[in-house]
Amino acid sequence: MSATSVQPTIRWNGKSIAVTEGDSLAAALWRAGVTTFARSRKLHRPLAWTGAHAVGALAAVNGLPNTRLDQTPARAGTVVSMQNCWPGPGFDLLRLMQILPERLLYGGFEHGHLMPSSGLSYRLAERMMAYLAGVADTAPTGWEGAAIPGRDITVDHLIIGGGPEGIRAANAVAAAGLSVALVTRGRTPARFARNAGQEIPVLDPRVDLHKETEAFGGYRDGDLVLAAPVNGTGAAVVFRPGQITLATGRRSMPPVVRGNHLPGVFDAHAGLNLAAEHGVRLGRRVAVIGTGDEVALAARLRDLGHEVVHTGPAAGLDRIEGRARVRAIRVAGRRILCDTLVHAGPWRADPNLGFQLAAEGHYQLLDAALPVRVTRIGAATLAPEPIHIPAQPDKSALICPCMDVTLGELLSHIDAGEHDPEILKRLTSCGMGTCQGWPCWDSMLAVLAARTGTRPEDHARPSHRPPRRAITIAQAAGLAGLVEPDK
Amino acid sequence: MTPLPRSASTVIIGGGVQGLSAAFNLAEMGQTGIVVIDAGYWQGGASGRNGTLIRPGFASTAWTELFMLTVAEWKTWSKRLGENVMFTQRGYSVVSEKAASAAMLEEATAMQRDLGIRSRMLKSAEISDLLPAINRKRVLAVQHQEEGGVAPHHAALKGLRAYCEHRGVALHYRTKITGIEVTDGRASAVWIGDHRIDAGNILSCAGPDNPDMARLAGVEIDGFGMKIEAMALEPTRPLIKPAIALIDSLAYFHQTSRGEVVGGTEVPERPRMSLRVDVPVMAEMARIYLEMFPQLGPVRILRHWAGQLHASTDYAPLLGEHPARPGLWFSAGWSYGFAGAPAAGRLLAGAIGKGHIDSRMKPFALDRFQTTGPIIEKGIVLA
Repeated sequence: MSATSVQPTIRWNGKSIAVTEGDSLAAALWRAGVTTFARSRKLHRPLAWTGAHAVGALAAVNGLPNTRLDQTPARAGTVVSMQNCWPGPGFDLLRLMQILPERLLYGGFEHGHLMPSSGLSYRLAERMMAYLAGVADTAPTGWEGAAIPGRDITVDHLIIGGGPEGIRAANAVAAAGLSVALVTRGRTPARFARNAGQEIPVLDPRVDLHKETEAFGGYRDGDLVLAAPVNGTGAAVVFRPGQITLATGRRSMPPVVRGNHLPGVFDAHAGLNLAAEHGVRLGRRVAVIGTGDEVALAARLRDLGHEVVHTGPAAGLDRIEGRARVRAIRVAGRRILCDTLVHAGPWRADPNLGFQLAAEGHYQLLDAALPVRVTRIGAATLAPEPIHIPAQPDKSALICPCMDVTLGELLSHIDAGEHDPEILKRLTSCGMGTCQGWPCWDSMLAVLAARTGTRPEDHARPSHRPPRRAITIAQAAGLAGLVEPDK
Repeated sequence: MTPLPRSASTVIIGGGVQGLSAAFNLAEMGQTGIVVIDAGYWQGGASGRNGTLIRPGFASTAWTELFMLTVAEWKTWSKRLGENVMFTQRGYSVVSEKAASAAMLEEATAMQRDLGIRSRMLKSAEISDLLPAINRKRVLAVQHQEEGGVAPHHAALKGLRAYCEHRGVALHYRTKITGIEVTDGRASAVWIGDHRIDAGNILSCAGPDNPDMARLAGVEIDGFGMKIEAMALEPTRPLIKPAIALIDSLAYFHQTSRGEVVGGTEVPERPRMSLRVDVPVMAEMARIYLEMFPQLGPVRILRHWAGQLHASTDYAPLLGEHPARPGLWFSAGWSYGFAGAPAAGRLLAGAIGKGHIDSRMKPFALDRFQTTGPIIEKGIVLA
């Protein structure tokens, strides 16, 4: 070996990009100055990984569509290409859609606007729509599909969430001599806390750790919990837990302002993941907003070598400017030049698993008290912080980036008298994409409440469902026969 | 919301695709004073949770004649409703994996062709052409119905609602019928708490709640409510062109115009009334997808949900006036109800509005189990 080793590279839309050991694909791309990872479905807006939504982090990786760039390691030779562009990756003529008035695309192609109504012309239009809407090509022919045999694990106690609270809870159960499994999405437990510079308790080695794994489904009042490795190829797990602890923490909600999903906007989790774990510089000038944690976050980002040009309350943000990435923000009429915005609040807990375990209903699944075996701990128990909706909301604010649903589109239905969240969901497809309603239904309910003079909690949530893209067909097929039908 | 009226020409219980189709047809015929009452929310029942598949051909002539009418009606809905229901005749393939079902399909094809449906058994080259991604090792025979296809439910329900509202049909969702009044043996009014609506006729299109509606009127109807489950995969570009039923694997699915593969399967379970989902259906459906379309292996599952329906003893719809309770009509017992709604709405509107009982409706009479017997239909994907 010579002293100078060749730096490994990946391919991005045909171009070669150098990667650093330990990079995720998202980290490698951002480090190299790539700021558009994906394009939105209808208007082909530029999207990148923001942390709040997965849609900006999806690309074709080695031919496999819809792969999460933030969850996939950047191995030398990996070929990554952008989806949802025509005629090809890297050059997207359809971005011209952005010059169309947004109103024209309210409801989307699939809701009947702009479509011939019957016969052959509709069939042709439908075919084009299918091509445009199905954002990714399918896996290459010859993909040798085999079911990945699932695992069946009976455990006294299942802890979901690997933050400091989850670790402490798991350690306590292990110390009591009971069997305990801990499921965490991260490569290591307590990733966010570590990236934030906090002390992390050491995980008791007796805890059965399932890392890089997402628990996505709760069934039969908690008799069964399903989880699957995030890579899509590891064995899915059927947990049969005696007790379940939800230590799933909270996430920061994106601000409901113009430009809220421009590349360069990160939630605290994603921003710190890039800046601390991967040593990537988020941008030249960083603004930090929040509901109290922004000061600590700004200090941490400064420690990590960032220039922080603004620190302030999330509710004070008026708009985010920029075309392909953040260029400036407006706060109380003042324009602040920056290329990155990191938000640390309002914080809210992901309701999905709790809803699945508790909700029941004949006409509609309605949230209820958790089954007795299920407990929430830590930040997941804290009251959800209100999402600020400006008195004169900007119609361009994106509520659901997966389905390209704007605040204006929601208001068009709310102002026409439609105040039922389930119906708003069906009319706009808000929350029906990659993220399956989290966090966009919280934003939607905040908009609805603000517009109708009600409280968000006055409105029943749309149904949260499994498995919200946390399991592949090959993984799920490996569960066939593991669980007896309920007879 | 507008206040509930005191009287109605027809009270329709259930504002899903069945109830709205009947309301639309009655209104189109000129009936006024139609009231639709639904305990849930718009699109909240099976009408907003189904597979959206539509085909004309089955194995029995009774089903086939009813569904030929429904396809003919579907073709007219966009124009009549004034809203695009996005019905697309992209074809419907019934796939057989076993000799017995292949023989059944051959026989059904001959019957369907006699009735004028463009059904045919595909030759080997045609299967590869139409379904390039299917695992040929699993396929014994494919019956293809060119006139079949899909219509997204949100579009159909939106068109129906807009038409009904425009024509003065009173739609009341999240409103629960608590009683049905009987006068001299005839159903004569409905109660919503302490509010009474005098009704010329009552049509129950209440899906899994139809047995309860019959009981409110002091009569019984065949069948019981149960849940079934379906799921949607993450969107990809077109892989599967026609709608597909796997007659032996008991699965049905299609790829929507926005790229999701949507479908469901049947796992023998204790019938339950719930909107909760369970593990076996997801696992079984994934196993079937993987075997039939191996390319779906790495595709992620977005959403898995449940809906409820009213299963009759022979899984055939129950259409018509209740023999023991004049004035109380049913469009019930549906398992292919989304597809069948345009026909059912037309036939029931003709029966209620004009007193004409169409020959295509007669085999599905509520008292068939005591008279002509159950309808034997081997071409449906149910068990």
